[in-house]
Amino acid sequence: MMTSVMGGDVEPGTGDDVSIERPDTESDRPVQLPRRWRLSDPLISAGATAGLLVVMAVVAEVGARSGWWRASTLPATSTMLSGVAGLMDDPQFWSDLTRSGLEIGLAILFGSTAGLLSGLLFWKLPTLGRIFEPYLVSFYAVPMVLFYPLAIVVVGINASSVVILATIMATIPVALNTTVGLNGIRPVYLKLSRSLQCKPHQMLFSIALPAAAPFIVAGLRLGVVYALIGSIAMEFVTAQAGLGYRIRYYYEIFDNDRMFAYILVVLVLSVLLTALLAGLERLVVKGRTS
Amino acid sequence: MSTIQLDDIRVEFDTPSGKVVAVNGVTQQVPSGGFVSLVGPSGCGKSTLLAVISGLTRATSGQVAVGGKAVTRPGRGIGVVFQEESTLPWRTVQENVQFALQIAGVDKGEQVERANWAIDLVGLKGFEKSYPSMLSGGMRQRVALARTLALEPGVVLMDEPFAALDQQTRIFLGAEVRDIWQRSQQTVLFVTHDISEAILLSQQVWVMSYRPGRIIDVIDVDLPEHRDASIVSSPAFNQLHNRVWSSLQEESKRGFRQQETRT
Ligand SMILES: Nc1ncnc2c1ncn2[C@@H]1O[C@H](COP(=O)(O)OP(=O)(O)O)[C@@H](O)[C@H]1O
Ligand SMILES: [Mg+2]
Repeated sequence: MMTSVMGGDVEPGTGDDVSIERPDTESDRPVQLPRRWRLSDPLISAGATAGLLVVMAVVAEVGARSGWWRASTLPATSTMLSGVAGLMDDPQFWSDLTRSGLEIGLAILFGSTAGLLSGLLFWKLPTLGRIFEPYLVSFYAVPMVLFYPLAIVVVGINASSVVILATIMATIPVALNTTVGLNGIRPVYLKLSRSLQCKPHQMLFSIALPAAAPFIVAGLRLGVVYALIGSIAMEFVTAQAGLGYRIRYYYEIFDNDRMFAYILVVLVLSVLLTALLAGLERLVVKGRTS
Repeated sequence: MSTIQLDDIRVEFDTPSGKVVAVNGVTQQVPSGGFVSLVGPSGCGKSTLLAVISGLTRATSGQVAVGGKAVTRPGRGIGVVFQEESTLPWRTVQENVQFALQIAGVDKGEQVERANWAIDLVGLKGFEKSYPSMLSGGMRQRVALARTLALEPGVVLMDEPFAALDQQTRIFLGAEVRDIWQRSQQTVLFVTHDISEAILLSQQVWVMSYRPGRIIDVIDVDLPEHRDASIVSSPAFNQLHNRVWSSLQEESKRGFRQQETRT
């Protein structure tokens, strides 16, 4: 069923490219397949996540306390949590968080916009799409960090260079998925819109974008994740502030408790972003599956 | 006012395996307020002919006029029910039916009113808030039908609208379509591959041949205006059925042989 396909799984057989998820937008699927867990699905997954977290927390706590591993390898849960609590009144933390949040937010904003626009462009001008798509796809294989020196030369060592590279990383999956989604619109929808004499903007907003929405949202999910990864990783490598930079800083001065507190914050951030996007996805596919 | 006039229509498609002549030399007329059914083997060019009349496809040569005006692009007066599933899965039944009206610039209150009327007409009352994915294929096709009927176009082109329906629903909806037509003065061109349906519904049946698609037989249906299911067993109906059937049979065989030799 569709929801599971779009939950990030890549369909077997089409898995030559991880970035292109292929939700089943055809509506001539078998009708009303019984789906027993339909209503409780989100509840179950939320419950499972919570359960898993509790188990992991307990294992970390017990493991560290009873000396299964050194506390410097992975501190006890309680230590990490108190570390996070300690960050709450640390102005340094808040300025790091603000900076990373800003970078990630800008990368998401610019990346989604650029991705959507290039997707639309590649759809409207198929020749251009055919030329650029292979490059976009192969861009995945390139570690973006390599471009960091270039970005530094161009804009200097500051938040801009992080935002630029994270934006590029976020743009690609959005652009690819948007292109695939728009190119996959069933021809009958285009016939319908012509037959009803839709104006270009009606055609775009009432037919094309909604029809491609499952793909676009899947792309946005990836884009957001890439913006986050890109920002944190880029800070980690070379930056003077931000969560990523701070993790590396505490790592280098052997302050493990603080380092893990920061790592935990980044984890929470990524879980929150993912949950937000999953919510958006649910909103978009509402009603499309039985 | 809404006569469909076809004058020597020819439609060619360029395909990787060469030129395909989908429709050739079709010169016919559906009188204003008339109901004509088009039957023919699959792939013979029925949908293509409909696309030409609706302005979605340009004929390679020949003229098509609706209400005396040449058709060069889609227009408000012509409503199409597509052969393919065409409901929008992100809209509810109500929203799907209102969509056409919305695009046509009908004001909100009237949109709701006309949509309700059309939904009632196709027997989907109570499903207004359902999404297409919750409905059967047949019900979805009825949504598409309602969407077109809500526009109240002067010309209605229907491309095998009931192909996905079960027999009972088919007969029920066929009667409904005929009823609407009788009350509305609409000009209807109805594609089907069900001979009984073609005869039962229409005033005239066109039989189309396979490759190149030509109209090889035109049969006037001189049955009484008021028709119910019992008419199917009348001798007059049987005679018409035999006539259409024999025209079609030759064609189907020929088409089948052609398809076989091509593959
Ligand atoms: N856009 C197109 N490009 C190429 N060939 C087409 C196209 N549309 C239809 N055809 C061909 O034209 C013929 C008639 O098709 P169609 O009108 O859909 O037949 P029918 O509706 O009677 O089944 C078929 O052989 C089909 O393959
Ligand atoms: Mg057809």
